[in-house]
Order: sequence, then C-alpha cells, then structure tokens
Amino acid sequence: MQKVGRMARCGARGRCGPLWRQGALWHGEAVRPPRAARAAFRSLSPRTRTALLHRAGYFAPWEGGFDFTPPALGPGETAGPPDFVGIGVQKGGTSWWYELIADHPGVTARPDLHKERHYLSHFGTEPFGPAQVARYHGWFPRRRGTITGEWTPDYLAYPWVAALLARSAPDARLLVILRDPVERFRSGLTFRLSQGALATESTVADAVRQGFYARSLRRYLRYFDPDRMLVLQYEQCSADPAGQLAGTYRFLGLDDAHRPDSLRTAVNASGTKRPLDPEAGLRLAQLYADDMDEVFTLFPHLDRSLWPSARAGGA
Amino acid sequence: MTAEARHGRRPGAARPVVADVLSRLPLGLHRWLPLEQRADLRHALGRFQPDEDGSGLIPPPPAPGETTGPPDYIGMGATSAGARWWHRLVADHPEVSNRPDLPPARHYLSHFATRPFGPDRRAQYEGWFPRRPGTIAGEWTPTYSSLPWVAPLLPRAAPHARILLIVRDPLARLPVALVGHEEDRVAQTGTAIADAVDGGFYGAQLAQVLTHVPADRVQVLQYEQCRRDRDGHLAATYRFLGLDDGHRPERGRQPTSARTGPGADLDPDTRDRLVDLYAADVIALAGLVPELDLSLWPAFDRA
Repeated sequence: MQKVGRMARCGARGRCGPLWRQGALWHGEAVRPPRAARAAFRSLSPRTRTALLHRAGYFAPWEGGFDFTPPALGPGETAGPPDFVGIGVQKGGTSWWYELIADHPGVTARPDLHKERHYLSHFGTEPFGPAQVARYHGWFPRRRGTITGEWTPDYLAYPWVAALLARSAPDARLLVILRDPVERFRSGLTFRLSQGALATESTVADAVRQGFYARSLRRYLRYFDPDRMLVLQYEQCSADPAGQLAGTYRFLGLDDAHRPDSLRTAVNASGTKRPLDPEAGLRLAQLYADDMDEVFTLFPHLDRSLWPSARAGGA
Repeated sequence: MTAEARHGRRPGAARPVVADVLSRLPLGLHRWLPLEQRADLRHALGRFQPDEDGSGLIPPPPAPGETTGPPDYIGMGATSAGARWWHRLVADHPEVSNRPDLPPARHYLSHFATRPFGPDRRAQYEGWFPRRPGTIAGEWTPTYSSLPWVAPLLPRAAPHARILLIVRDPLARLPVALVGHEEDRVAQTGTAIADAVDGGFYGAQLAQVLTHVPADRVQVLQYEQCRRDRDGHLAATYRFLGLDDGHRPERGRQPTSARTGPGADLDPDTRDRLVDLYAADVIALAGLVPELDLSLWPAFDRA
C-alpha cells in the first residue's frame, strides 16, 4: 500500500474519527490486520484498494474526500504559517530531501503528518479567505525554537498555488528540486500508473506538463524574491548530498553542521520505469528545449551537463 | 455510431463469457459501482475510451467507393468551448465525408507521447479518414491543443491539414470543463483541476501550433461570436476549408448543452485570482488573433 500519511476517517455522513499515524492503517499500532489479510489487500488492483479504503472512510490528502481539519496541537506546540514549503518536483527526490531536513533537530516534523499537505491543491476554483488561511496554518504545529514546513511536489505544476502561497505564507522559504525533465517524465508516469491512474491522455499530459519547470517557476517569481527560493538539482544532490544538504540547512537558517545518520536512503523509488521509445524521447527533449534553456538562464548554478535531454533536445 | 466505435473496442477482440453477461446489463447499472472501479469494468468488457491505452488504433475498412488519405482538417481545441457543436456544423456540409460509425474525436495522436511515430503510423492515421470522391474528411479532438506533443506531430501526420481552434471565455469555460473530471477529482483533486485550468491557456496553445503550422492554415473561432452570428462564422469556416459557403445547416442554431454566464459558479475572489492567472495569456492570444472580441469576455476587456 502506498504511504498515505495522515489519513482522516470520514464516514459517508462526514463524521470524522481519529488521526492516524503515518501508514498506521496497516503498519502502525492502532490497526494491524493479520498478515494474510494484508497480503490479500496488496494483491488487489490499486483502484480496487483505493475503492475499499474510500468505502472505509480513508482518504489521502491529494484525494477529494480528505478531511482538512487541522491536527490537535501537542503539549508545548504552537501553530502558524510554514517556515518553508517545498513546491516541486514530483519524482525529483523530494521525499528523500524532506526526510533529511526533518532529521535536523531544529525542525519539527510530526510523524503523523504527511510531508505533502496538499492543502493548497484543493483551492484552484474555491474561495480562499482568512478562514482558509488560518486552517492552513493549523497544519504546521512546531515546538518552541524550531521551524516547520511541508513539501507538496505538485504545487509547482498547479498554476493557482503561487498566489495562494503568497497570501498564506508570504515569508516562507521555497524549495524545489529539478530533475532532467525527460527522466522525470518517465519516472512520474510510471509512478502515477502504479498508483492506479488510468493510462489516458490526461495522465500522460499531466506527466509531460510537470516538466515545464521555467513556465511554472516564473509564476512563483511573480510573488517571491529569488533569494527566498532555493532551486536544487536532483543530479547534484545525488552526486554530493552532504554539500547540497548543508546548503539547504543554511538556506533555512539551520545549523549546517548537522549530519543525518544516512544521507542516501532511497525513498519512493519508482522501480522499473515505463519504456520510452528513443524517437519519442527525442521529441520530448525537443519539446522541453526552450523551457530548459530558460531554467539554466534563470538559475545559472544548475549544471546543464547533468541533463542528457538538454543535450539531446538542443537546449 | 456503433458501440464498438464509441468505446474503442479492439476489432474482433475475444471477450470472456462473464464480460458478455455484464455487457447485457441495463444501461446505467454501472453507476452503482464505485467511481474508482468503473474503468476496470469497462476494460474487463474490452471497452476503452478513445484516449485510453488499449483502445484500437487500427482504422476501419473503407466502404465501397471510399478512399483514405491524410485529414483535410483537424480541430484541435478547446475542450468545453463548443468544439462538438461546430464540428457537427462542419460535418453537415455535403462536401464533407463524415461516417457516423467513426468518433468525431479520433484521439489517434493522443497516443504518441511515448510511442514512435513513423511512416507506418502515419499511414494508419490516414486510414481513419475515409472519404467519398469529391469530398474532404477530418476530425475534431478538442484535447489536442492541450497535449503538448500533438502540435509537433502535425507536420508529419497531416502536413497539409487546416487547423481549427474554437476558444471561449476562460472563466465561462472552466466550470464546464470541471464537470468532466468527476472521477479524476476523487483520486487526484489538484491534478484534475489543473487539467481543466490548463485547457484555458489558449494563447500558449495557439503559439505552439503556430510554430509547426503556417498561420494561413489556422483558423481561430471565438465561441461567443459564433453563438451571436452562427451563419456568418460558419460561412467563414466553410470558405477556410475550401467548401461552398452557401450551405446552411437546418439544425444546430445554438450549442445543445451550452452553459451561459461568464464566471458562473465562481465566487468573486476565485474569479479575480483566475483573471490574474489567465490575463497574460489572453493578451498573448489577442496579439495572435486580432479578430478576437474581448468585449465578449468582460473580465478581460481591459486586460
């Protein structure tokens, strides 16, 4: 089962029950079905599993039925706007990087809260006033003297989020990890299909659109100064995690001497990627060429040579 | 249109007995199934939407006297902007071949983001456009304009086709576009909304088309103008396609399922945010299409 993080239990009439620890539905202490039941559940198709979970009242933050009532504060905790928000990109190593940030003693990252709050994802065509802003802030409890935040990789690709973030967290520092867009596309599409998405043109189009980084980042640069935005490159993070992580800590105002026990924990790796025909791959690289050019112009510290599709597509 | 064409069943695909039984259940019974599983049922029955992996790409055999060839016209967009209405009017012309067993939206090019598109595929695509002698043939797949990989395929797939695009006030279009995403919104709310929002960036879509197709082979229609003066704009479309512009369809004075009112269902704050989101794109579109009448899109009139 996918890692679902905090799931709200809402009945058909909207009755909401307890919070669940990350993955607690099957892996935690609260509910632990027999091994055979878990195996049988996993053998079902992703869509059937999802349907059963929904029937039982469990929804993930990216799903329509999720209950966004903020979690109760723990002893000594306060809530407020996030200090940092990771905005992208899906399949760019964001779970890995978030865990490294969360490992820092100066960061509050409650294990019962999913790194991807997805709160702002739901307000593309909904009102977003002071009540919604306050509710968003309620999702960021923190201990005294620490910072906290979230990382929802889809935010970059949702065109309405930059404006909402400027309204609800104007002082937040933004993080984004970019990855060779064609590789990201392959990994992203594989991931979506493995999660039960239908293999339709809109699923593929979504995977393609997420790779137009410059187009999306321009929206954020309308609202946030470039010095409040840290743009990392997945390939650089993989090659030099310690150096890039220290830079991330400094950007967040944290002590950069901290070293997590492990820097190389693979999180949410996609496994075998969906095949991409070389001719189609070249067409994708050409599709992204202008956008990649703009990325390297806007953020000259990124290394063009680390993206094979930048060479193939003529960017 | 036959059930096979509507549902994209592979020609001659064997179906299990259970699937046969299920397929005879009364229409509408599938609505008892959870949203998440309806697609599984369709697929178990061998039925695929034209834009789904698994739908048949093999063209139908031409009828006696028909020939096939590249499409003479391709409608590319936009979704929820009257494309179906306008295509019916085009297809009503006696000089247009429009076989009722073929879906007007072929969705053929939707399948080639990750697949190779070589001469064999081009020939296969041409097979989807049977026509009687002395007539033209084409398709209108409204999602093409928002699929970034389609426009680059046009010079190879249909090098001489005329391209049609109909656009509508993005604020009026959006609530209509969202209606079609019910299943998606259960699974991925943000992605479903993004898909609907993205369809309204006409300026960017048109700019991409124009990098691959000469401007004189592209006609952009404005939905609101078409509603106000159907016959005048239809005559212009007929002329653009090389057809006799004296034809007047009896039906289709207005789109059958149109929802009116710019920004319907949007609260003022959301409306302002969307205007801000679309404004630059609308300005770009107006720069590319001088005939665009922004007074018909009140929220953007002073953009």
